[in-house]
Parts: sequence; C-alpha cells; structure tokens
Amino acid sequence: MEKEEESNEPLDLVRLCLDEVVIIKLRGDRELKGRLHAYDSHCNLVLGEVEETIYIADEEDEDEDVAPTVRTVKKQSEMLFVRGDSVVLIAPFDGVTK
Amino acid sequence: MSFFGFDANLPRDQSHRANAPGFSQTPDAFAGLGASVGDDDVIDFEDTYDGLGEQLDETDDAFNDDTFGAGPATQKIVGKDFDFAGQTSKISNTLQEEQMLYQARQPPPPAQQQKPSVPVASKPARSGYESYHDPNYIPQLEARADIWGLKPKQPAPERQAERQEPVRYEPAPAAPSRKMMSLEEVEAMMRSRGVAEAPPAPSVQPTPAQAPAPTLHQVAQSQSQYPGMSSPFAPQILQRPPPQQTHHQGPPAPRQQQIHAELPGQGVPSQSAQQPPNLQRQRPQPGDAPVQHHRPAPSQGQGQRPPSQPRQILQNPNRLSGQGEPMVQNGRPARGHAAGHNRGPSYPGMVITHPEQLLHLSEEERAAYLEEDAKRAKRNHKIALLSRDNGLMTPQDKNFITRIQLQQLMSATGNLDERGEEAAIAEDFYYQVFTQIRGAHRQTPQQPANQFAQTYLFQTNSRYGPRRNGRAGDNHMQRMEQQVQRAVEAAKAKPKGKQLVIEGSLGKIAFSNAKTPRPLLNFKRPDTHVKPPRSSVADRKETLRNTEAVYTTLMHMEDHERAMPPPINEDSNPELIQQHMEWRTKIEALHRELWKNIKIMEPINPHSVTPHPFISILSLAKGKKAIPRIFRHIDEHERITMVTMIVVHLDSLSVVSNAVATPTEPLGPAIREEVELFTLSVMAPLLAHISESPLNIVIGLLGLVLDRTNLQMVVRSKIGMSLLTILISRAELLKESAPEIDSSDWEQWTEFYNRFFDTVEPVLPLIFPGTVNDTDDTYVWNFLAAMGVGASPEQQQRMVIGVKDRVMETVSVSKALPADMAGSRLANVNLFMRAIGLDVELLG
Repeated sequence: MEKEEESNEPLDLVRLCLDEVVIIKLRGDRELKGRLHAYDSHCNLVLGEVEETIYIADEEDEDEDVAPTVRTVKKQSEMLFVRGDSVVLIAPFDGVTK
Repeated sequence: MSFFGFDANLPRDQSHRANAPGFSQTPDAFAGLGASVGDDDVIDFEDTYDGLGEQLDETDDAFNDDTFGAGPATQKIVGKDFDFAGQTSKISNTLQEEQMLYQARQPPPPAQQQKPSVPVASKPARSGYESYHDPNYIPQLEARADIWGLKPKQPAPERQAERQEPVRYEPAPAAPSRKMMSLEEVEAMMRSRGVAEAPPAPSVQPTPAQAPAPTLHQVAQSQSQYPGMSSPFAPQILQRPPPQQTHHQGPPAPRQQQIHAELPGQGVPSQSAQQPPNLQRQRPQPGDAPVQHHRPAPSQGQGQRPPSQPRQILQNPNRLSGQGEPMVQNGRPARGHAAGHNRGPSYPGMVITHPEQLLHLSEEERAAYLEEDAKRAKRNHKIALLSRDNGLMTPQDKNFITRIQLQQLMSATGNLDERGEEAAIAEDFYYQVFTQIRGAHRQTPQQPANQFAQTYLFQTNSRYGPRRNGRAGDNHMQRMEQQVQRAVEAAKAKPKGKQLVIEGSLGKIAFSNAKTPRPLLNFKRPDTHVKPPRSSVADRKETLRNTEAVYTTLMHMEDHERAMPPPINEDSNPELIQQHMEWRTKIEALHRELWKNIKIMEPINPHSVTPHPFISILSLAKGKKAIPRIFRHIDEHERITMVTMIVVHLDSLSVVSNAVATPTEPLGPAIREEVELFTLSVMAPLLAHISESPLNIVIGLLGLVLDRTNLQMVVRSKIGMSLLTILISRAELLKESAPEIDSSDWEQWTEFYNRFFDTVEPVLPLIFPGTVNDTDDTYVWNFLAAMGVGASPEQQQRMVIGVKDRVMETVSVSKALPADMAGSRLANVNLFMRAIGLDVELLG
C-alpha cells in the first residue's frame, strides 16, 4: 500500500496477477478465466487452465419486444495465447465478486 | 694565333705553354696582347726588359700551377663555365660502365637499330665534327633537341655564338691557338689514339687522351648511351624525379652540365624534319605514358630509349606539369577517368615508352607487349566504367550507410554464439531455458549453461522438479498432462457455491481457496489463534507486490550470476580481479535487497490479524515457487532463519491450516494442489536443510513447534506431519550415529519429544486424512514410524493403542485387495510396526 511507486503504470498491476487466476474479457462477447502466465506491453497474454466462455445471443425470435436469449458456450483449454488487440479487460479472479 | 699561321708565343710564355697545354681562355687574351706588343712595338724588348724574367727559376715550375693553373688535374679550378665536355668527361667512367652493362645485357648491338630512326646530324658537342667523315656516324639529334627545348633560357650570347659557328667546323676558339696544331693534326692524333676514353671536351680539352675519335661501333654505343642518359634530365627539369633508379648513378650537378655540353649541337638543320614522324608514331600509343610514368624502366630498355618525352614537352610546353599525364590527355582525351586511377598495371615486361621500340622488338615480345597493352586498355576502360558514378555519395551518406550496416550486424541473430551467452538469452530467453533443460545432456557441457540449466530446472518443473529422483523428461510431461487434466476436471466440477451437498452423502463439501479458507469443522482451536478467514484485498495486493519485488530481485540476481566474470586465480590480472570485486559488490547488494524483499525479518506479531508478510508470500503459488530460487542465493544463517520462520508459522500456513483433512471431509482439489506445490517447492529445500542440521537446530525447531504452534492441527496436515517426521528422524539419526555427544542436548531432546508425544497422542486416531480405503497414507505411516523409533516402550504401547484400529482395518482391507496393492498397503503398515519392533505378520 505504501509502495504505490512500484505500480506507477497499469501493467505493473497486471504483473501482480502473474501466476494468479484472472478474468479476461475479450472482444466478440468472450471471457476467459485462467492462470496468467505471461503478458507483454501489447496485452498479449499466455493463460493456462483456461475456461473460455462465449456469449451467444439467439436471434431466432423475430419478436422485437422480447430480448434475445443469451446462451453461453464454454471451452476448456490447457494453454492459450491471447492476442492483445482483443483484450478488453483484465481482472484478478479473486477481485471479481461472484 | 695558330689560326693565322704565326707564332704568337713570347719567350716568357714558353714556360706556360710547355707546362700547361690545356691552358684556358685567360692566357689566350694575354697571348694575343703579347703578340701585338712583340711584333709592332718599336721599343726594343731588351731595352725595357728589367731582367726580372731572368731571375725566375726556369727549372722550378713548382709554383706555376699555383699561378696559372696547369694540367687537366687543376683545370676545373679555372673558369669552368663553358667546360661542358670536361664535365661530361668526368662521368665518362659512368657512361662507359653503363655501356658495358648495356652491352652485357643486350648482346646484339643496337647500333643498326638506331640508325634508321635518326637522321644524320652533327655531333658538335664533342668537337667531333670530324666524325661526319665516318658515314656510319649517328648523331645525337634527340639529345641535343631535348636540351635545347628544355633549356630555353640559355644565355643568348652563348647560343648565338654557338649557332654562328659552322656546323662542319666547330672548334673551340682558344684551344688551337695554344696547341699550335692544325685541325688535321688534331684529327690525326685523335684517330691514332683511338677513343677508348669518353667523349671529349670540345673546346677546352682537346688533349689527345680525351679527344673523341669514335669508331663506328663506339659512336653508336655512345649514341645509344646518351639518350638513356638524357631521359632523366627531363624529369629533373620537371621537378619530378623519375622512378628510373638506375640513372641516378651520376650526381645531379654533372648531369645539368652535361646538358650544357650537348647544347651546341642543337642547331642541327635536320632536327625539325625528324620530329614529325616520331610524334605521329607516338600519338597512337599514348597508353605508354602512364606506364612509363609509374614504372621504373628496366635497365634493359634504357639504352634504346630515344628521348621522345623531352621533345614532346618541348613542343608542348604547357604539359610541363607532369610527365605521364600530358600524354594521357593527348592520347585519350575521351577518357574521363582521373589520373589517380592510372596505377600502373603489374606489367612485368619491359616498358615501352616509344613506338620505335616496338619496331625493335622481336615478334614474340611485340605480341606480348601488344597483349599487355590491350589488357591495360581493357583495365582502364573497366576502371572508367566502375568509376563512372564515383563521388555521388557524400561522406555523410557513407557514414549513414555504414551505421545502418553496423546496426544490422549488431542485431543480427545469425551469430549468437559469437555474441555470447548473454545475447543468446536476451534474444530468446525461454527457448534457451528449454534447450538447456531438455538438451543439456546432448550438448557439450558448458559450465555457465549447465549452471543456467540448474537455475531454472527446478523452477520450470517446479511442480515436480525438486524431487531429485531423476524422472525422465517425458515422465514430466506425462505427469504435467495428468496434472492439468486433473485441474481441468476440478475446474469443471467446481461448483459455484461455497458449499455443495452431494446427493447421498451425509456432509457438506466446503470449498475454499486462499481467499476464503474453509471453516475448520470439528476442530477445536486455541482462542489465541485468530486467523482472519479472509484477508483484505489491500493485504493481498501488498503480498502480491512483495512477491513481485522478490521476483524482480531474484531475476536481477540470476542475471547477474550469469554475468559472473571468469574465475580468478593467482595469475589473474588486476582488471579481472577488479571485475570480480565489482561483481561481488553488486551481488551482495542484490542479496541484501532480496533478503529485505522477502520480508522475513519483519517483526513477528503473534496477535496480528494479518499473517506475517513472509508467510503471506508463501500463501501464493508464485511465492512458494520462489522459495527454492531464494534458497540458492541466501547463506546458511539466512536459511536457518527461513526454516525457523516457516516452522514458527507452521500453523499459519494455508497449506497447514487449510489442509487438515478428515475421512468425511477430504481436501478440495485446490488445496491439494497447493499442498503438493508447497511440498515440492518449499518443503524440499527445507527438509534438505534440516536433514543436515545439527542436533541443537533440530531441538530448537521442535521446541518452536511445541511452543508456538497448534501442534494438534499441524500434525494432522500433510505438511506439518512431513516436517515433524524429518525433525524426529533427523534426531534419531544423530542419536544413533553419535549418541555420546552432549548428553545435555539429548536430555533436552527427550524432554521435547515427550512433550511432543503427549501432545500428539490424543490426535493419533485422527491423523489419517482419509478412510481406510484411501491409499495415500504412506507419509502417515512414515510419521508414525519416526515417532515409534524414538519412543520409549511405554510410549510405543500408547502409540499402538492410538493407531490400533487403523492398523487392523488396513490389514483386513488389504486381504480383499489384489496381491500387489495389498502388499504395498501392508508394507506401509509395516513401516510403523517394525519401528516399534512388531510386524504385520504377527497380526495374523
């Protein structure tokens, strides 16, 4: 807490999440949860033990009034490389209130 | 004067004449005066003569030479201004040597070759006009022309006088008067004497010994000599000494004077008629000029070389700036290439500077020469093509390109080996680590590489690495796959809630992680031990920061370790020693920083709601993984400190406090993983350290466990049990190896052991984490065996009572198991049974 000077840039906070479980929000309605093994300045990430969640809005219902139902597809990956340009959000898993 | 046929000599001159036949101009005037006096004066000589002449010692001529100068030996003292031939004669020896050399080198005499190229002309410089009687006489037209052209500033009177003299009749005016010889006489004498000597001095020294009466052969030779000698004159005048070193035999001064000596012949009528053909032949071959300019002429060709260059310079006075370049300009105006490119080709043959020489060459030589010339022309053309774009880039441009190229070289990845380990690591760190670990055995052992591999071997395989049982690489992979699969399955199965009631089971399954420790059910804990069930986010963040600081320092240290200078010995230079000292200073600073960053020296506050910072670091997976790496860098004292710190906080460790399993409530996968990680990364160095510790350390550690921790909880966790096992067994080993040492220590140990036994005995039935069907209980039997070895018979009795049920159950279960599984189960039980002197076989 008194060492704020060590976290003087955002990626230093990401560094604190190294080897921790993080939640990654990606473009294209996807989320990843996994252990952060590595990152770089482009937010390219290497994740281990990843669970990928894809949110799909089912549009089969033509009725405009009814909100489209959202279903999720989950995938498990042992190891993932995530290209940084799709990363929207990085959060420590323990910091996310479930 | 003898010219006019009367005797002008006075009696007083007799002595002079007799003693000084080569008397110079000064006496001439005197003689003329004397003649007029003697013939025309009415005054009788005898009347006016004071008789002083009689007083002279006529026989003693000792001072005559002093007075008037006499003989050739002293002639140079007297008026040498016009003594050209005399000067030439001085180097006659040199000329003759040259001649001999030339003859020796070139057997065919060049006389006939010279003949056609040079028209008949006079050679008056030697006063040898008589040689024109010889039809084979070859005059030295070129040499005279050269000198005339090169020395246009000759004094006008002299030149005029010389020119006015008849070509066919060029005597020195004074000489005949003194000699009293007719020309015919002189000629006759010259011919009779032969011409073994060098060219004569024309006007001053017509003595028979030096008078020129050249035979055909000799004249031709001397002719051929003179052009060779005259060729260096031109360079000298041009202020550019030629490279023809062989010509420098004579001193410069005589050469200059030789030019004067040959000047009289410049007025040859046929001179102008001769030049045009030479020039016409020279112009088509201008390529010779650079060669001639830059290459020393072999002595072979010297004698033959006609003095063409000086004449050209004569006709083109504006070319005096250089010897070779004007020819280039003349012959190849279209060639734009700079003179600097006219480096002479390595043409080993003779240098041909005059087209006439080509005619004298044999067919082979000519062919060779023409071939060389073609080569040269080709080469010059090529140079011209190559240098077409010369000078387009400025020096700044060149510097820029050079810099870019150097940068590319610096960043090139092709020659990593040359750039050393450091560059290779910087280039692709992970690949290097991978290859060092995986390919270490195949590679040639490099000391830093192996060290490097050692550094990261355990780290990279930290889940399994510290086991030094030499698993093969694919075994690692296999286990990792299994591990990951298990983790993935666990993640799949992980419920979202904190608790899960599995259908058909009696209890609830609680899930926990480091943030939300599972409430410890069925466990009475001391009130003093208040562990916050959930550390605040701020604390966690602080812990993460501490961990990252530790890693930063660790990586700096490991980098610095790789940069260690080569080991020093007694012959190391001071620079290397200095490097070592600097390196050591740096590593010590990093060491201190590391020790500070792991927060191990933070004061221990037993009543704090937050765990000790060091213990917090250990609660993180990456904190655990850092321990073996830290252990490598810290010294023995610090290791003891670390072991002590862990032991003191044993029950605070999440892997102990959260890992007390019961048969009804087994550990969750997350904590199991954590325990396994802790075992491999933290316990391994810890146990290795304890197993080498002396007894007092072991006693101290056991005392700390007894005093500071909740032993009953510790003993029910795998980590705590492992630690206690190693402590007790280490003490037993020490007791067996050296029981006589320090009986007071043993008394203390026994006391501690008894306290320990008493504390543990109540939970003996509970120390088994799972049901009797759980096969993962080897470490429990190990612990019991270690306890039993050190226990007294009475304590052993109580132990048997404590674990009797479990032993009986296991034996009965194993009877229903396949033989191999039953064998392993019974073997585990037997570990304990034999420790207390029993055997499962006795149980029947």
